[in-house]
Amino acid sequence: MTQTDSKTGFLDRNYFLLRRLHSLTGIMPIGVFLISHLLTNASIVWGRFDSREAAYGHAGAAVFQKEVNFIHSLPFLLLIEIFGLWLPIAFHAALGVVYAMSGKPNNQRYAYQDNWRYTLQRISGYVGIAFIFYHLATLRWGWTFLIPGGTQWSAEFAGSTLAQVMQGGPDGVTFKGLVVALFYFVGVSLLVFHFANGLWTSAITWGLTISAKAQKRWGVACLGVGASLMALAWAAIFGFMVLDVKSAKDAEAKILKGPLPVLEKAADAGGSSDLARTAK
Amino acid sequence: MITSLTNAPAGPHAKELAQRAANRRNAKVGRTVMVKVQRCDGPGKASRWETFKVTTERGMNVISALQQIAGNPVTTDGKKTTPVVWNSGCLEEVCGACTMVINGKVRQSCSCLLDDYAPNEGDTITLEPMSKFPIIRDLWVDRERLFHNLRRVKAWVPIDGTYNLGPGPREHPKDQEIRYKMSECMSCGCCLEACPQFNLEADESKWDTSFIGAHAINQARLFNMHATGKELAMERLDALMGPGGVSDCGNAQNCVKVCPKSIPLTESIAAMGRAVTLASFTKFFRS
Ligand code: HEM
Ligand code: SF4
Ligand code: SF4
Ligand code: FES
Repeated sequence: MTQTDSKTGFLDRNYFLLRRLHSLTGIMPIGVFLISHLLTNASIVWGRFDSREAAYGHAGAAVFQKEVNFIHSLPFLLLIEIFGLWLPIAFHAALGVVYAMSGKPNNQRYAYQDNWRYTLQRISGYVGIAFIFYHLATLRWGWTFLIPGGTQWSAEFAGSTLAQVMQGGPDGVTFKGLVVALFYFVGVSLLVFHFANGLWTSAITWGLTISAKAQKRWGVACLGVGASLMALAWAAIFGFMVLDVKSAKDAEAKILKGPLPVLEKAADAGGSSDLARTAK
Repeated sequence: MITSLTNAPAGPHAKELAQRAANRRNAKVGRTVMVKVQRCDGPGKASRWETFKVTTERGMNVISALQQIAGNPVTTDGKKTTPVVWNSGCLEEVCGACTMVINGKVRQSCSCLLDDYAPNEGDTITLEPMSKFPIIRDLWVDRERLFHNLRRVKAWVPIDGTYNLGPGPREHPKDQEIRYKMSECMSCGCCLEACPQFNLEADESKWDTSFIGAHAINQARLFNMHATGKELAMERLDALMGPGGVSDCGNAQNCVKVCPKSIPLTESIAAMGRAVTLASFTKFFRS
């Protein structure tokens, strides 16, 4: 093969491998991460129903904090982030843009539902890049000048600082906070669509679903996955928009002081069976 | 390996078909219909619109409307012009030559009844050439790239030679049945015109690396299922794994909805997706 170092030369020479890696990275690790990330975030809501954490005052904030603490306790976290997340996402996004630019949407003329999914898959990819970049820059890399109110997200006060980011400051929801929340709503919703639809198309890409019936059946399953993830995503955004910053901060401070004093207090409080379980 | 074929609805939407049938029932013979045509005097020349008046006859199709216009090529502004150029062959929707874009959607013009599309006095029907192929003149386009792409996947059975090869292997009737539907392709180009991933490529040197199209993917499947055609199976899969191959499909699934022969193109695309997946494993562990 002749030596070409142009960009299209590289893409053409590794065409099949790159296409399949693009599909694969969309599911694993990116899609798997998306699911676990949305589950974690929604703990600000489902955590409220965890009576074992009631002693912290705000069970939702406590569960969310413990989830964050667990993640931060992982060894080689930065390496996991770089090689397990950031590089795969950058790879998928960069190729995604190349692939998206190779098509010419024609929804006006062919206004079929499937064709709209095709176009939305590409739009959601573009918006997804903007959203993921903003999300990482503000919360992970500390570009607080992009956050109204300039809140610095803190891993020790995970829920309360995140609530301030999304509400636009420490004193409840502001207009600028609403704008940020709206961007989160649009960005996350589009990415959930992107993943659910990608899950559906990947089964065609790899040849798992062949007959129209099988494609339809798998489509229903992907719709279920998408709807569930959408519910988690919206619950999390709602949860942080209505979170009371002060009581969340109290709960986080108690966790930061370590488990023992909290457990003593729980024992003082009379020790329901739930709390006794926590004490073990 | 490739066994599935369902009778799931393909082809134009049922709603569209019902609307056309209703139009046909209501249309009156002898009404005036405006035929709006996108015209172009030759390759590289600018396009323009011209509208003609046509008096309908019973069962009139787009071709007979164009013939009436050719008899008296005067636009609605009273301007004398040249007859509109179009391509056709069979006049019974089996050759694909007359394919054009009618009221915004691609289809064969010979099977397109004016009653379906312009049922009322004064209604307009719009004709455009396909946009994914170079224009030769007016509504006539050059579908050479479509045939080029069939050659990329060697869409034939290799039996030419210097001596008699004897009878071919027996075919299973079930396979024949599946293949029959796929074999109805008439190379019309509808699936390519409607595909957002298949776009006009004027530079012929890029034809081998730009998207091959649903029709060729379907033909590769057809001939890979054929007992003798199988001999070239790996070469066809190589073509589909290369640049512009099956992975270029973005699953918009327009092709299957506009295919006049209701060929299950999206099933063929998935089937060849599976075939190249398996082929890539085979290659990885063998070479
Ligand atoms: C949370 C982030 C993301 C996830 C979970 C994700 C997931 C997926 C999945 C599972 C697929 C299906 C692959 C296939 O059909 O075989 C896919 C396809 C695609 N993704 Fe992503 N993706 C993400 C971000 C992005 C971004 C930021 C872009 C940037 C434009 C993008 C562009 C695309 C495109 C264009 C396709 C269609 C490729 C094709 O059909 O050939 N994705 N994605
Ligand atoms: S399914 Fe693939 S080949 Fe068919 S119209 Fe969509 S992108 Fe084109
Ligand atoms: S697959 Fe259908 S739409 Fe495509 S060229 Fe063949 S007959 Fe025409
Ligand atoms: S003339 Fe052959 S398909 Fe219309």
